[in-house]
Amino acid sequence: MTCPSCGTAVAEGARFCEACGASLGTTPAAPAAPAAPVGEVDHPLGDAPISAPTRKPASALPDPPASAGRRPCTECGGEVGPDLYCLSCGTKAPSERDHFEEHPATWVAGVCDKAIGKTRNEDAMALLAGETPGSRAVLVVLDGVSNSIDSDVASLAGARAAREVLRVPLPAGMGTPQGRDAAAAKVFANAAAAANTAIIAVTDPDSPNPASATFTTAVLEGTRISWANIGDSRTYWIPDAGVPVQLSVDDSVAQAQIASGVPREVAENGPQAHAITKWLGRDSEDFVPTVGSMEVSEPGWLLACSDGLWNYASTPEAIAAQVRAAGSAEPLAVATALVAFANGAGGHDNITAALARVDLGRPDLGQNDQTPTPGGEPSDG
Amino acid sequence: MAEFTASVYQNEFLPDGGTDVNAIVTVTCAGAGTAGRSGSGDAGEIIIVDTSGSMGPATMAAAKDAAQAAVAEIVDGTWFAVIAGADRAMLAFPQVSSGPGMVRMDASSRQAATDAISRFVGSGGTAISTWLDLAGQLFASVPEATQRHVLLLTDGENRERPGRLDEAINRATGYFQADCRGAGTDWQVAEIRRIAQALLGTVDIIPRPDQMKAQFEEIMRNAMSRGVADASLRVWTPQGAEVLFVRQVSPTVEDLTSRRTPVNPLTGDYPTGAWSDESRDYHVAVRVPAKAIGQEQLAARVQLAIGNDIVTQGLVKATWSNNSELTTRIDQQVAHYTGQTELAQMIQEGLAAKASGDEATATTKLGRAVQLAAETGNDEATSKLRKVVDVDNEETGTVRLKRAVDKADEMALDTASTKTTRIRKETP
Repeated sequence: MTCPSCGTAVAEGARFCEACGASLGTTPAAPAAPAAPVGEVDHPLGDAPISAPTRKPASALPDPPASAGRRPCTECGGEVGPDLYCLSCGTKAPSERDHFEEHPATWVAGVCDKAIGKTRNEDAMALLAGETPGSRAVLVVLDGVSNSIDSDVASLAGARAAREVLRVPLPAGMGTPQGRDAAAAKVFANAAAAANTAIIAVTDPDSPNPASATFTTAVLEGTRISWANIGDSRTYWIPDAGVPVQLSVDDSVAQAQIASGVPREVAENGPQAHAITKWLGRDSEDFVPTVGSMEVSEPGWLLACSDGLWNYASTPEAIAAQVRAAGSAEPLAVATALVAFANGAGGHDNITAALARVDLGRPDLGQNDQTPTPGGEPSDG
Repeated sequence: MAEFTASVYQNEFLPDGGTDVNAIVTVTCAGAGTAGRSGSGDAGEIIIVDTSGSMGPATMAAAKDAAQAAVAEIVDGTWFAVIAGADRAMLAFPQVSSGPGMVRMDASSRQAATDAISRFVGSGGTAISTWLDLAGQLFASVPEATQRHVLLLTDGENRERPGRLDEAINRATGYFQADCRGAGTDWQVAEIRRIAQALLGTVDIIPRPDQMKAQFEEIMRNAMSRGVADASLRVWTPQGAEVLFVRQVSPTVEDLTSRRTPVNPLTGDYPTGAWSDESRDYHVAVRVPAKAIGQEQLAARVQLAIGNDIVTQGLVKATWSNNSELTTRIDQQVAHYTGQTELAQMIQEGLAAKASGDEATATTKLGRAVQLAAETGNDEATSKLRKVVDVDNEETGTVRLKRAVDKADEMALDTASTKTTRIRKETP
């Protein structure tokens, strides 16, 4: 197929043109849901680099809908023409890669933005959500390392590959809390491995500077939040009233310094503040994420973001203040406000903010949704 | 089917606070076909020959010969008519007194028209407004002829009360196109240029009768090769912007700024007439509100529209930068055509000053013209200027007016003043 705006050949199923950035308005066909390995006793969840099917397809979440047509002009709200300039004020519309939004359900949304200070958006985001608020949400955020080649392509490929693994509910293990955590850790390791494989797949084998990226993901299932992290993108739990917490722990020089007693403010502004100690990519030596989980008991926001946002509000309190200042219960409005805040503060790095709204209104639904279906249990645990 | 393409030459980088964007947009047409065959309507041709008493026997004989040669070039099926112009206009062919005033070209109508032309006799004065008005009436009598073109030959100054010709030009503007030629040296370049410019045609001098036939054949061949009946240059500018000017700059300089027809509050159409397989350059200058460093925006969409169909588009951009290496560069094409536009103006103003006896102004303006012609590589202008002035120093534009100048050379310089040369393409 070819791009309707500029005529360049584009890959089948592409959502935007690599040459001119025009939205192609096609939704990639959701990959055929993994066939349930009914009757297959020893299916290999073990060291498989990409997801092995673990659940019935019926419980797999669909991809977020592709945005319909072009978004209105960011400057004046006018219609954007097929040449990607506003028909009223002439402002250049950001390309789909430079600024995109996902809104898989009313209660889950994210914005991934190039930021005013950068020329390319190397952040990536991939979201999933069940239609019922509070049922099941998956937030995946990758931050391509800017001094590596093609990290914008790699980060998006990695985010979507990880999303595939997380499309089906997390396993419950053998029934014990430890078993459950171990089973979830295994799935998260698979998701990170899938992202890693996807990143390497789009990396030029001869590249002296292979693409690399951070990886952070948070999964909400009813009242349970599970997360996994590699590098310095972050997940936060921000209750409406209670004390906000940073869930993920950075793999960074700054974090190591903080752990050894250096005050956060000093460490995060030091010369090595943004040096990460773990990442995904061809030259990654360790891509097993650190994981964790918690039960939530009050309404609030689950947030996954890149350092383009938390650079300007690092502490849980500071970022909670920005979320609360947005003053909205709409996740897209809050994500948009957070991106605007970071751009307003300088926008020196790509900005991604993905949110799930937790209202705890109908906790039962969530519980039901994550009830494991037989046949695809991870065999370890 | 005609194919149009557009390319844009500009320096899109503006300094902090910069507002004025200049661009050259080249529009090229290929596969235009033949007039009247594009399916958008028939072609109509009217030949107007000056038959006033001032036409000498040699000129009249040449004019008849040339008009007959032009008739021979008209493609079969084209609606046509021949007008003999003096102090009133006479329909020489077809000889009808009611109904359609034009007939379709075929072997017998071509013969009949040729015979009618051979009976031309010179007498009376010159009232060009009546010629244009009759042409308009003849076209109106054949509604199916939607591509309308006139070839007009005159040898003398218009003898009508002031304003009458301009009124006729206004009536014809946007209705038909006209290529105009002046025979000998007794006609007024400025007057005939006014007709040609308004009616989207060319103007030139035919100094000697023996050059007439070849010129007429060429004009008619060109007219017959215009398979695209009518097109407009459509210019969109953003909210809050101002179009400073829109000029055709190649093959000739024609200022179109005042000829805008609004399409909507942000968009206007400028007439370009019919197209053959050719390439034309337009200089578009737009003033946009300044934006912050690093911002990019569209300053103009320059499109070619046939009816309401956009057949090609060029984008004129503005990007604000604090890199002075980028912002101080002037695009070569923009610089070239800015020089050529000034060249045309200097020649016309210099000759006007000379005619009114203001030798100082004439010397300055023509000197500047010599300088610009050399700088922009317009060899035709240089050689025509050298017939009117003695050049002491081309680089500084130091010249002296020649004492004895052939009137025809001066008029040739004047009529050719708007002709431009293209920039010499640099080989990479």
